[in-house]
Amino acid sequence: MTSPTTAADPGVVMIEARAVEKWYPNGFHALRGVDLTVHQGEVVVIMGPSGSGKSTFLRTFNALEDFQKGSIVVDGIELSDDVRRIDAIRREVGMVFQQFNLFPHLSVLDNLTLAPTLVRHRSKAEVQRQALELLARVGIHEQAHKFPGQLSGGQQQRVAIARSLCMEPRLLLFDEPTSALDPEMVQEVLMVMQELAKEGMTMVVVTHEVRFARQVADRVVLMADGEVVEIAPPERFFTAPQHPRSRQFLNQIS
Amino acid sequence: MHTPWWRNRRLLPLLVQAAVGLVVLVMIAYLLGNLVRNLSAAGLLLSWRWLNLPAGFDISESLLPFNAELPYWRALLAGLVNTVRVVLIALVGATLLGTVVGTAAFSSNGLLRRLSCTYVELIRNVPLLLQLLFWYFVVFLSLPDGSAAIQLPWMVLAKSGLHLGSPQLVNGVWQGSLRITLEFAALLTGLIIHSGAFIAEVVRGGVAAVPPGQWEAARSLGLHAGQTLSRIVLPQALRVIVPALNSQYISLAKNSSLAVACGYSDLYSVAETTLNQTGRSVEVVLILLGTYLAMDLVISLVMNRLNRLVQIQER
Amino acid sequence: MNRPRALTNRLHRELFATPLDGLITVALLIGLVFALKALLHWSLTQADWVVIQANSTLLAVGRYPLNQQWRLWLLTALLCGAAGISWGLLRGAGWPRSDRLAAAVLLVLSLLLPVGLGLAAPVQQRWWGLTALLLVGRWAAGRWGGDIPKRGRRLLPLTWPLLYLLGLGLIGGGLGLMTVRPSQWGGLLLTLTEASFAISVCCPLGIALALGRRSELPLLRWGSTLYIEFIRGAPLITLLFLGQNILGFLLPGGLAPDRVWRAAWILTFFAAAYVAEAVRAGLAALPRGQWEAARSLGLNMLQTLQHVVLPQALRVALPAIVGQFITLLQDTTLLSLIGLLDLLGVARAVMANPEFLGRNAEVYLVLAILFWCCCAALGLGSRSLERRLNRQHLRSQP
Repeated sequence: MTSPTTAADPGVVMIEARAVEKWYPNGFHALRGVDLTVHQGEVVVIMGPSGSGKSTFLRTFNALEDFQKGSIVVDGIELSDDVRRIDAIRREVGMVFQQFNLFPHLSVLDNLTLAPTLVRHRSKAEVQRQALELLARVGIHEQAHKFPGQLSGGQQQRVAIARSLCMEPRLLLFDEPTSALDPEMVQEVLMVMQELAKEGMTMVVVTHEVRFARQVADRVVLMADGEVVEIAPPERFFTAPQHPRSRQFLNQIS
Repeated sequence: MHTPWWRNRRLLPLLVQAAVGLVVLVMIAYLLGNLVRNLSAAGLLLSWRWLNLPAGFDISESLLPFNAELPYWRALLAGLVNTVRVVLIALVGATLLGTVVGTAAFSSNGLLRRLSCTYVELIRNVPLLLQLLFWYFVVFLSLPDGSAAIQLPWMVLAKSGLHLGSPQLVNGVWQGSLRITLEFAALLTGLIIHSGAFIAEVVRGGVAAVPPGQWEAARSLGLHAGQTLSRIVLPQALRVIVPALNSQYISLAKNSSLAVACGYSDLYSVAETTLNQTGRSVEVVLILLGTYLAMDLVISLVMNRLNRLVQIQER
Repeated sequence: MNRPRALTNRLHRELFATPLDGLITVALLIGLVFALKALLHWSLTQADWVVIQANSTLLAVGRYPLNQQWRLWLLTALLCGAAGISWGLLRGAGWPRSDRLAAAVLLVLSLLLPVGLGLAAPVQQRWWGLTALLLVGRWAAGRWGGDIPKRGRRLLPLTWPLLYLLGLGLIGGGLGLMTVRPSQWGGLLLTLTEASFAISVCCPLGIALALGRRSELPLLRWGSTLYIEFIRGAPLITLLFLGQNILGFLLPGGLAPDRVWRAAWILTFFAAAYVAEAVRAGLAALPRGQWEAARSLGLNMLQTLQHVVLPQALRVALPAIVGQFITLLQDTTLLSLIGLLDLLGVARAVMANPEFLGRNAEVYLVLAILFWCCCAALGLGSRSLERRLNRQHLRSQP
């Protein structure tokens, strides 16, 4: 879909997070020194109990959350207070939300074409062509002129994924993409994500879906209480977790 | 890594604030400077001592005794008392009227429902000032006088005023018992009917917000419409109604300032006369703004207390 | 066949369901019939409508110089044409039932009103011409509107602000036209000018205040809150009073603007606070995820506001905003209390004329009907606009 020209090069580092710490204004220590390195083409799944800071950590990658200590380098650009850098990062990083967050007053097609025309200054006709292709790839082609309110949850989330892809990002972030869906619609979204992974898209996914993690993830990261507890490939993580906290978590979810 | 200040997302808000603050301060300083210069040129620099000077004008009606030799502050106080008098009674009247009309919108009688809607639509789209002038000039001022006055069991409607109780006709003039001036009556009627329509909408909205399941449950328990409304629905509707009533009451208090059109000496009307006589625009306007603001605060405080009472029944 | 039966059943159910209902219905009907009969009797026998006929020009344009009134007719013609064309462009070629109804109402009004008001023959003809212009514009735009190229269509909404400025120029003069000072504007002309100015300018101001009130910058937030709460606590008449008396002191020397413009700005600042509250409610109703999605797609703050946030927030706030416009139109009557000759001010002057003593009821009735029609039309327009906008929006939950 988006990376036919650049094959994923595992040598390139997409995200380099070092010793990241974050406090909320009320004093709560949300991130207590987390490190993570994500290579191009990798699929990293972050799991953990609620309140562990996994969503917060994910959202620091595109500056939706700020942090007080440590450093994060995304796609070679270091995150700082520089507005220009943040905008550059947001152009290359796509995000898919738990609540879809489609724009209800715009049609599905307009949802996709809005950002590329405004931010990348591409021509409307060209963007529309690409948008229709993307919608066909996620299986929503016939609904292009409908409004989000007329689609089911699963369809809306697939449109949300297509919307992010229309910006041609180098990295996709997923914040619990299937948690708000009825069970019968979870699969259709996971299948789209699996396709993306096969095509070499770099993905960081916060999710509870164990089967997805086992089948698609290159590495699983367990977070608890604002810290990274364990990082391991899925086969090892789910069958032989090293850390007692990991074992505790796996017992809870199975 | 160094971020230039004009791209720094932490600094930018502070800079914007500083810039805006500076512009606003400069503007205010300029305007105030002009104000002081112009006022001192006219010999009208801010002072409050003129309040003790004799007023030199009369007030058409007042609960507190007043005559032209009393100081200005007594005049303004009398005006304030007049305002409070009409506002309090109008609040009660408008609430009663609004409740009746608002609940009539849910009556089983189709004609009553439509009349209630028509009343609200008619009143809402005609300016209040026009309504007040209508009540005063067309209705109340054309009341007959003397023996031709309209005589009801509990009051007499005459050109000299509304006489409550059992007045006697003496030499063509009605006397004795309580007399309500036409100005007061017109203002009161206009305010009650106008605010009544808006309060009716608020009540209607509140009752409509009660889930229909409540009506059904009450009906299935054997309560008839009246009991359902008063015991089950209205208490729940109050949770939505009371906050909205706050703004309607404040609106009514502010609308009382239109009394000047009816010839009723409320605070605004006395203040206008005072300003015309003394030329003390800044002080008079400050007094007006401050007093109405205080009234609004008092109303809000009371309504907040009421709100808490009404909400307390929730968990 | 069954229709009359169904009708009587329905009447029975609605009006006579219980004995109490029946009693109420009978009492109300008696009261209504009595009141209507009295009203009809009065308006046909005792009322003297000459007061309206004789003063129609005064009520319409105040003391606008007679030989310059052609400019007002020109402006009205331009407005009618523009309105007709806009109507046609929005609706397209067909004439749906509501449009046909509206056209019929307009034709009837233009035929009956000028005659009923006793206006002179040339004036009557001008009214017919204006109505014809409106309807022909509607038809023409519906028929050929689709042929306008897309680029042109984008620019069309700009004609309204331009027309507005042109209108102010035509009314006020300057640039070759004889200047007509605002003190000579009066009647309906003054009312509409003040109301339209306040309505146009209070919107952007209100939106800015609402955004300021929700801003994270404490200075902007406190500043906006202070402004809004100050305005909401003050009666409009006091603020108009302030404008007339103190504004002159705030500017150097004798530089104060004309009283008409002072009042117009006070109305604007007043309405902006209430519009700000309505927009604030709309902004609050917007889920935070909308902001986040827009920002994470790379849109900057301005683009986010323009394409994502404000379209949704304003949809929610629309009923309250139009309600504020209706209030604003009604509030122009307060101008008569500070000595300006708006429609109510002129009417009161007419009533004070010894020639028309005692004709208060007729004048107030006509004024009430006029205001009622304008405000009710605004309300209806708002509700239909709301319904059309919500048709997409309501389906946000599948």
